[in-house]
Amino acid sequence: MAVTGIWTGTISFSLVAIPVQLVKAVRPGRVSFRLLHSKDYSPLARRMLCPEEEVLVPPDEIIRGYEIGPDKYILVTDEELESVSPERSRTIEILEFIDLSEVEPVYFDQPYYLVPAKGGEKAYRLLVEVMRRTNKAGLAKFVLREREYLVAVKSVGEALALITLHYREEILSEEDLEPAQGELEAMEKSRLKKSIENMMADFNPEHYADQRRDRIMDLLKKKAKEQGQVEAPRVEEEEGEGPADLIAALEESMRQVKKSR
Amino acid sequence: MAGRAMWKGFIHFGETSVPVKLHTAVKENRVQFHLLHKRDQVRLHQQMICAYEKVPVPPEEQVKGFEMEEGRFILVDPTELEQTEPESSRMIEVHEFVKTAQIDPIFLDRAYYLEPDITFKEYNTLAGLLEEMAVDGICTWTMRKRSYLGALQSSGKTLRLNTLRYVDEVIPVTSLELQKFSLSEKELNIGSELINHLTESFRPEKFTNEHQQRLQALIDKKARGEKIAILRPRRKKSTAPDKLLEALEASLRKVA
Repeated sequence: MAVTGIWTGTISFSLVAIPVQLVKAVRPGRVSFRLLHSKDYSPLARRMLCPEEEVLVPPDEIIRGYEIGPDKYILVTDEELESVSPERSRTIEILEFIDLSEVEPVYFDQPYYLVPAKGGEKAYRLLVEVMRRTNKAGLAKFVLREREYLVAVKSVGEALALITLHYREEILSEEDLEPAQGELEAMEKSRLKKSIENMMADFNPEHYADQRRDRIMDLLKKKAKEQGQVEAPRVEEEEGEGPADLIAALEESMRQVKKSR
Repeated sequence: MAGRAMWKGFIHFGETSVPVKLHTAVKENRVQFHLLHKRDQVRLHQQMICAYEKVPVPPEEQVKGFEMEEGRFILVDPTELEQTEPESSRMIEVHEFVKTAQIDPIFLDRAYYLEPDITFKEYNTLAGLLEEMAVDGICTWTMRKRSYLGALQSSGKTLRLNTLRYVDEVIPVTSLELQKFSLSEKELNIGSELINHLTESFRPEKFTNEHQQRLQALIDKKARGEKIAILRPRRKKSTAPDKLLEALEASLRKVA
């Protein structure tokens, strides 16, 4: 599988620096739909539209704006953004190593993989192997587009995974949820413990299928038999999507808007 | 303070039933940008266009298709999809318990806090047991017409629910096609020693989002009409493969 990098840079720990690419670790599941045009069954693409001029705007005519009042923006260029933390824009510098079991699960956000770029394969392999042996993960900070991420870098099989972490200040306190004290009687408690013990298993994510997806797959199989497929017209030339970074940024921001709704 | 309660349900396994309320556990606070047209500084809208005709497509001309093979789709209409929606339920059903350490954080998605609802003794006992036994409950539930897979966890005092990604949503490491590389035992030993020297305990309060503050300062500066000095991002020079041992040894000397 060809991997498309989201970001290219260097990961470093102490005096060792490894050229790497950041790639996705998460994809839509096996049932994901495309939006099509009902007229010609051509897939739809997401573009930015200027509502004033009613034209589609190519990525090189798009700029970020920080809203300071109705329709009033401070414009910020990519170069200015990179100037905010230039040392962290191209380097994931591992500041320290930690025992990942000390990190409460609530801190974990988005996972990615790092893959070695040319010349970095050996040092990459070393970092994977020594983190596996010591059972440690690297803690680093780096800047991707508009945001600075606190990340944990760990070994997963032969690869390095990079998981973004929430900052402490983003984790809400749960003090107000804490229940009153008081437990079940010893008898009931040991019965509860027994039932947990009886249900112990190994974590195997393969076991847990999404039942809704199974139902959708059944529906699709049935429909394929009954009514067949439609064919999209061939597009002569794929429209240039512009800098991958910006498109990814657009998609990311849309995803976040959706999530927060 | 925890976020508002967003859903109510009950944890169920065997003869146990624990009523709970779900609260969000994370609140992100970030400098928000909008995307503008450079020329006229108008805020842009997202628009779906037809890849073939290159024209905007209004919602009523949009249909959903599942791609069977490249360029070939099965059309599906929304009412058919609705029929596949899970039935609504208030039950968080625990199917099995696993050792917490077995769940790779790659699978963890969103975290929620659980607050006891009505009674609290079962809740407290369950939270205590999960902590003591170092286990998570693997569970499924339906919330807002979506089915979720999750891990029921304990922080000792309170219970939490972390949604898990389905296995087909996580790209397998094998698909990265990484090459094997032989390393000398010496390199591995020095590397391991170096990591042990650099290990600290995790103290999240040490790390603040400094970038966010600097970004806000940059915006303020621009608002005052000041010029921004452009700094080029620097990239560290990669360690050459034949210099790896040397770099590891030098690193170790620095910290040991």
